[in-house]
Amino acid sequence: MTLVIGIPSKGRLKDKALGIFETAGLPITLSSDARNYRGRVEKHQRVEVALLSASEIAGELANGKIHLGITGEDLVRENIPHFEDKVELVAALGFGHADVVVGLPEAWIDVETMADLDDVAAEFRLRHGRRLRIATKYWRLTQGFFARHGIATYRIIESLGATEGAPAAGQADIIVDITSTGSTLKANQLKIPEDGVVLKSQANLVSSKTAVRDAGAYSLEAEIVSAVQNSL
Amino acid sequence: MCWRSQGRGGCKYAPFSEPTIFLNSYAPLCRVATSSPQGGRLDTAMTLTSKLIDFFAERGCVAPEIAILQPADPFLETAGEDLRRRVFITENEVGDALCLRPEFTIPACLHHLASPEKLPRRYAYCGTVFRQHREGTVEFLQAGIEDFGRSDVVAADVDCLADAHAALAACGVDQTRTIFGDQAIFEAIVAALGLPQGWQTRLIRAFGDDKQLAAYVARLTDGPVGGGSSIEHELLQHVTDGDMDQVEMAVAAKMSEAGLPQQGGRTAVEIARRAIVKTRLANTRLDKAQAAALSDFLAINVTGIDADEALTKFERDHALDLGPAKLGLLERLELLKIRGLPLETFRYKASFGRRLDYYSGLLFEIYVGKSTQPAIGGGRYDRLMTLLGSATPIPAVGFSIWPERLENPGDVR
Repeated sequence: MTLVIGIPSKGRLKDKALGIFETAGLPITLSSDARNYRGRVEKHQRVEVALLSASEIAGELANGKIHLGITGEDLVRENIPHFEDKVELVAALGFGHADVVVGLPEAWIDVETMADLDDVAAEFRLRHGRRLRIATKYWRLTQGFFARHGIATYRIIESLGATEGAPAAGQADIIVDITSTGSTLKANQLKIPEDGVVLKSQANLVSSKTAVRDAGAYSLEAEIVSAVQNSL
Repeated sequence: MCWRSQGRGGCKYAPFSEPTIFLNSYAPLCRVATSSPQGGRLDTAMTLTSKLIDFFAERGCVAPEIAILQPADPFLETAGEDLRRRVFITENEVGDALCLRPEFTIPACLHHLASPEKLPRRYAYCGTVFRQHREGTVEFLQAGIEDFGRSDVVAADVDCLADAHAALAACGVDQTRTIFGDQAIFEAIVAALGLPQGWQTRLIRAFGDDKQLAAYVARLTDGPVGGGSSIEHELLQHVTDGDMDQVEMAVAAKMSEAGLPQQGGRTAVEIARRAIVKTRLANTRLDKAQAAALSDFLAINVTGIDADEALTKFERDHALDLGPAKLGLLERLELLKIRGLPLETFRYKASFGRRLDYYSGLLFEIYVGKSTQPAIGGGRYDRLMTLLGSATPIPAVGFSIWPERLENPGDVR
């Protein structure tokens, strides 16, 4: 039975992911037809490489359509409900670093911690006739994080792009978004509260718990996982 | 965490005069009826609900028609965003978020606000509610009474608790345990400790969340955690000096630089004021005696019979006067005793509360047999009607039953 590995289909993530397998002694050959989105591991004829977007990889791992994949921890935690039941993060790969953070207007000089934000959120409706609004595409991570800080009085505005512009556009009061250098936040005059890092994410090798494997695929996967782990 | 003890309920509001319509409308009844062992002292959920419907009618309740599909916003606005993953949400053609009703209290309030009747008035309901769970059933029966507009709050609370027990008795259940708490007493203690207003509201908000409360008390005892302020030096000086004009100007400048809207959100005045107050509050400390008073109070856990003594001892030990809040609780207990309720099966747990900003006073749960899940949750929520848009405050108290938890009280779902 074939073992299917999902690799990011473009950009730096793709190059780094290919590099990981190269270093592990498992070089991947991509199809010469760039529109094919397939590849092979020379050493293992029974491995098939599928080039997918990072968020597709998270989804396909959860559905059991692919056995292994490289994707961001943020996508695993955000896109897969009860992700612990569906997948296992088997190796943190040391690239694709990005933090999911809370971003507040710098003008909110009175808010420096999540506890401050709790105070502001609690009285928001009384003052403004509506709940505090958070723009984000990470609604699951946001809910979990705010619940851990005991904050329930807010509303999420789903944002599908340019989240950092939401406060200035009046769509939301604050944001939860991903940032690797913080420069986009800074450019939009947003700041992160002291304890406002929701998740420190990086690319991970992820194994599907729902994919079907025969004994051969199982041991092949174990071999590949340990080769990657040992090469890090 | 939402509503009273996962114990808020509602149903396919069928008028009591037409019980057959109600029964037909409740699809899972077939399942309940056929899968439950007949005979013995256990009734099926179907029998129980018809008994409850009779009981509600006897008590002079009216049963409004409540749609299964409800606007989602009132639930998310009042119970919080966390509810989103627990309800089934859909959209209509124009993009309004709708949800399958997860409970009946908010719909009952909305019904009253949409077609106000003379108050006081008691609404009742019995039907299916829908909640997402990681596994298992997502449809549950809920029944209950919501009592709107009674200004005699003590008597209304007593009626609510007594009716909750009577409803169980009508279902043939007699072995019950009741846990209750009263936020009003906690509010009285926090006020008596003489803490600044900002800290009072913080603590009251955390009431019902033991961990959060303990964290606040620790911070008040040991001082703030974390380093210095991130505010730039010059502005920080204005904040420390309490120079409102300077701080407001600086904040307004930052807002306009970032292109933040001037209206509809936090204003420069609000931010400046809070920054100044916060600096003052940062130095607030609880002394040892005050901290001991708080933790002694939160540890109170006694039977309904011993509540008076426990609170009196607490007042004596800490030289605090809980005033009308304590008297109110004792009056309720006295009236419950006169009504013949078994106070020895009641537990007064001082820290028992719920972190929802519309609960205001008495809160209770009733357990049947060995179950670890309450069969009934109830309490006072005087702030809810205002949150839902009522121009005037409307006092409200009510309870919800989970009839399926009465079928086999030994079972833990």
